[in-house]
Amino acid sequence: MEILHYDFMIRAFISGIFIAILASSLGMFVVVRRYSMLSDTLAHISLLGVAFGFLFSISTTWSALFTAVIISWFIEYLRRNYDIYSDSLLAIFLTGSLSLAIIIISLSHSFNASLFNYLFGSIIAVNNKDIYIISSFGILSLILIANFYQKLLFVAFDEDVAFTTGVNTSSLNYMLVSLVAITIGLSIKIVGALLIGALMIIPVISAIQYGKSFFKTAMLAILFSIGSVILGLIVSFYISIPSGATIVIMALLIFMFSLFAKKSRFL
Amino acid sequence: MSVKLIDDVIEIKNLNYKTYIENISFNIKRGDYIAIIGPNGGGKSTLIRLILGLITPTSGEVKLFSSDRTSFKNNSKIGYVPQGVTKNDSSFPITVYEVIKLGFAHKSSLFSSIGKEDREYIGFIMDKVGITDLKNRLISQLSGGQRQRVMIARALISKPDILILDEPNTGVDTNSQKIFYDFLKELNQKDNITILFATHDLEVIVDDVTSVLCINRSLLSYKNKNEVLQCSTMSDLYGIDAHVVHHRH
Repeated sequence: MEILHYDFMIRAFISGIFIAILASSLGMFVVVRRYSMLSDTLAHISLLGVAFGFLFSISTTWSALFTAVIISWFIEYLRRNYDIYSDSLLAIFLTGSLSLAIIIISLSHSFNASLFNYLFGSIIAVNNKDIYIISSFGILSLILIANFYQKLLFVAFDEDVAFTTGVNTSSLNYMLVSLVAITIGLSIKIVGALLIGALMIIPVISAIQYGKSFFKTAMLAILFSIGSVILGLIVSFYISIPSGATIVIMALLIFMFSLFAKKSRFL
Repeated sequence: MSVKLIDDVIEIKNLNYKTYIENISFNIKRGDYIAIIGPNGGGKSTLIRLILGLITPTSGEVKLFSSDRTSFKNNSKIGYVPQGVTKNDSSFPITVYEVIKLGFAHKSSLFSSIGKEDREYIGFIMDKVGITDLKNRLISQLSGGQRQRVMIARALISKPDILILDEPNTGVDTNSQKIFYDFLKELNQKDNITILFATHDLEVIVDDVTSVLCINRSLLSYKNKNEVLQCSTMSDLYGIDAHVVHHRH
């Protein structure tokens, strides 16, 4: 295949598949908790981190990741300790971080084009260093998800009951938002801040249409997510369109098919 | 070596929580079957949440099996069925088996999955509760009564000494309620599980209940069922003139 003759495409496939697995695995817990807006909010917070990176001339990958993790802890702290609706809290942080990012951008003048790449993603921007970071964090995150799978599921299903059986719900919630923040911080360079939320949510919603157990739904969501990335990269390569947006469109097509199949009782 | 059984399962002393609970004290002994009754907003669920440690009291003492609530670690001794378990969540993709398996979540990790013995026990409990044929069904596809039985099965997985249920019958039809109370009676009398349940519905105070806790922010009475179901107590509890009509189902 011609597409595999290019090193940058091989890097795109490797990093894209890692992100697909991570995003959909974490997306399962985020979606069933009706916390879907978390991914979009953290994506915009990562953008603020990127702006900090440009402003202070430090690595944008690390600044995005660091900012997303720290603010995700703050959001979780507010959610647990104050009577504020979760979706309102996320909306406050989404708009607040975006506003701050825009102010930093307007004060600096010099990096609008670079920032554009972080909004919509740029697959050719992925280098070997990114692959190492994504794969090492990815493997660590997957080990954590596998290790705490039953407890994360219990907290998602009924947090109060999980607490009464001795599950440390507070630590698990902080761990979940941290993993989501890390995944988003690592992904915005490839998929883009405006699109990573879709990759985390759409494959999960598509998989839920098939009415399987939680484990089988998670496996289906991972499959749909990987499929969206592979198809999206191939299509974007051959007809020269933005990769991040194409990946999301592929995920949407799978969702439309799943919804149609359910409605038509094909499933 | 003889093992001394602790007689008091729950000890509550001078318990206060904001304006919802005022100076409540009572003890629940092993083998008791207690109904907490009171009007909506009277503090029944708050009291249960205080017992379970889900909220921290403003003042007062909660002891479980003679240990202070804050230092109590033996969570497997308590089974909890929360309010609203019969509500239908049409989007959560989880099967009956997966829900019951959550009862072992505290000891499950990448390197220690549940063993053959645990799997057999899940089968035993499903059989006991009568949901074996629902094993692979999604929880969202079940009726209110079936969901209720699944949640009780999950609570029983840890082999609890006490089962605490908060308004367990909301959304459950009358026939399923009858089956449910027969099952609770069996758990109490055959398995010697202490049972504490909250309800605002006086009709469900079944014949088997040993005592009734009447609360409306403060404790109005804690007596046996026949003493509680007097017109004067009911008038105090609900704030209106009450006429109690007894009949057997």
